[in-house]
Amino acid sequence: MSWNPALQEIIDEFVDIDDQFEKLEVLIEFADQVNHLPLEEWSDDNLVKGCQSIAHLQVEIREGTIFLMAAADAKLVQGLQGILTVAVQGLSPQNALELTPDFAVEMGLLNTLTPSRSNGFRNMFDTIQTKIKEMI
Amino acid sequence: MKDQFPILQRQVNGKPLVYLDNAATTQKPQSVIDAMNNYYCSYNANVHRAVHTLAGEATEAYEECRLLLKLRYNAERVIITSGTTESINLVAHAWARSNLVDGDVIVLTEMEHHSDIVPWQLLAQSIAVELRFVPIKDSGLDLEAYKVALDGAKLVCVTHASNVLGTRNPVEEIIKLAKAEGAKVLLDSAQAVPHEIIDFGELGADFMAFSAHKMCGPTGIGALLVKPETFTEMEVFMGGGDMIEEVTLEGSTFQLDEHRFEAGTPRIAEGIGWAAAIKWLDGIDLGAHHKRILKLAKTTSDFLLKKGMKIHSPLNDGDGAIISFNHPTIHPEDFARLLDAQGIAVRTGHHCAQPLMNILGVSGTIRASFYIYNDEDDVRAFITAVNRVLEVLE
Repeated sequence: MSWNPALQEIIDEFVDIDDQFEKLEVLIEFADQVNHLPLEEWSDDNLVKGCQSIAHLQVEIREGTIFLMAAADAKLVQGLQGILTVAVQGLSPQNALELTPDFAVEMGLLNTLTPSRSNGFRNMFDTIQTKIKEMI
Repeated sequence: MKDQFPILQRQVNGKPLVYLDNAATTQKPQSVIDAMNNYYCSYNANVHRAVHTLAGEATEAYEECRLLLKLRYNAERVIITSGTTESINLVAHAWARSNLVDGDVIVLTEMEHHSDIVPWQLLAQSIAVELRFVPIKDSGLDLEAYKVALDGAKLVCVTHASNVLGTRNPVEEIIKLAKAEGAKVLLDSAQAVPHEIIDFGELGADFMAFSAHKMCGPTGIGALLVKPETFTEMEVFMGGGDMIEEVTLEGSTFQLDEHRFEAGTPRIAEGIGWAAAIKWLDGIDLGAHHKRILKLAKTTSDFLLKKGMKIHSPLNDGDGAIISFNHPTIHPEDFARLLDAQGIAVRTGHHCAQPLMNILGVSGTIRASFYIYNDEDDVRAFITAVNRVLEVLE
């Protein structure tokens, strides 16, 4: 699958890093990409269920494209939220729904895409697509 | 010893694997893997019924597991189950439902695994039993509160050793007090059997539940040891093959021994693998290894304490070699993923003990749990890895 250029650039950046620890250090830096969801707006409605950490995602459609706000108490989850922001923000709802979560595996950030209690990325990815489906 | 465990030879994320998630499951020695492989390659057959050669060989090998368990734990009745959770649920269905009535009291503790809480909550939905929880005091059980909770109790369910804290509870005293009150006792021994040889007959408990995979055996199989006189009070729970004596269209009669509670084709390969694990464990000095790994855990704990972590585990003599800890600011999931990136496997989360997490005032902990194949090299690797995590996240 081909990704938007910004996401492809990130995939290439991660593929170039051999050391897993360094990959995670870089992932943490992607927290800067997140549109921060203020604490007072955290609610059960935007809580991502099934994660070990506390993660919130608010998905909006602004002028026909996806806008994502997010927050989490774990830094690596914040980094994943940053990458999800790059992946979906600005896409049309239809294009966002066509996205598959494989890019996280391609980056070498996940060893599995199987939904589970330990797979916060998959839970967040699925949450975004579910919310989009509810809105269109 | 590590050379007997194939998995411990592998690398994870380019680093030698340091496996410190033993309270979740232990690794398997080559002899266990070979025994299961040999069954499927050489004599795979269903057990107990057929007269052909393969069936005879399979039955002999499978039932050896039960015999070895009886010998190892001095137990007359050994029901083979899928694991600790099924064992406890079996007590709830086969004993409690037919021996408890509305108003009866079951004593539990705040230290229990969900597997020793939820079956009793489910029971309480159909019989109005009262569940009393003994509180925790200084990482152990409050025995004075336990004595008070015992008043009128019909059943006491207690973890032998905590999967979160490693605390080895004084089950000998707990059983003695329960018996004085006339209560039955169920021990959740999942975390105790890997570290000590238990004389079930001598202990005097009515039930003891545990799993093979915590003691170098396969997943999917475990046991419920039952005191003979309590065994006679158990009613048939699941019906089907293997547990029957005779079936007619008018009704059925059931086997009288442990098979009565083992409906369906059993876990044959797993039973054979567990037998191999027990034989392997019989060949090592478990007590000496436990003392050694407890020392490793204490060294590790001292390091973590110096680095400002909150240590929840007491690590007293006899306790499990488990360190549950939290960093003041670093999220457990971040900690564990950055350790994994360096080849270190630890567990994070609530460890299926959410009530205990609430008491500790945390949503989850990081848990490093040691077993007999862990050594000083593992501790050194863990310390180096933790230092690197702190450099990045503090």
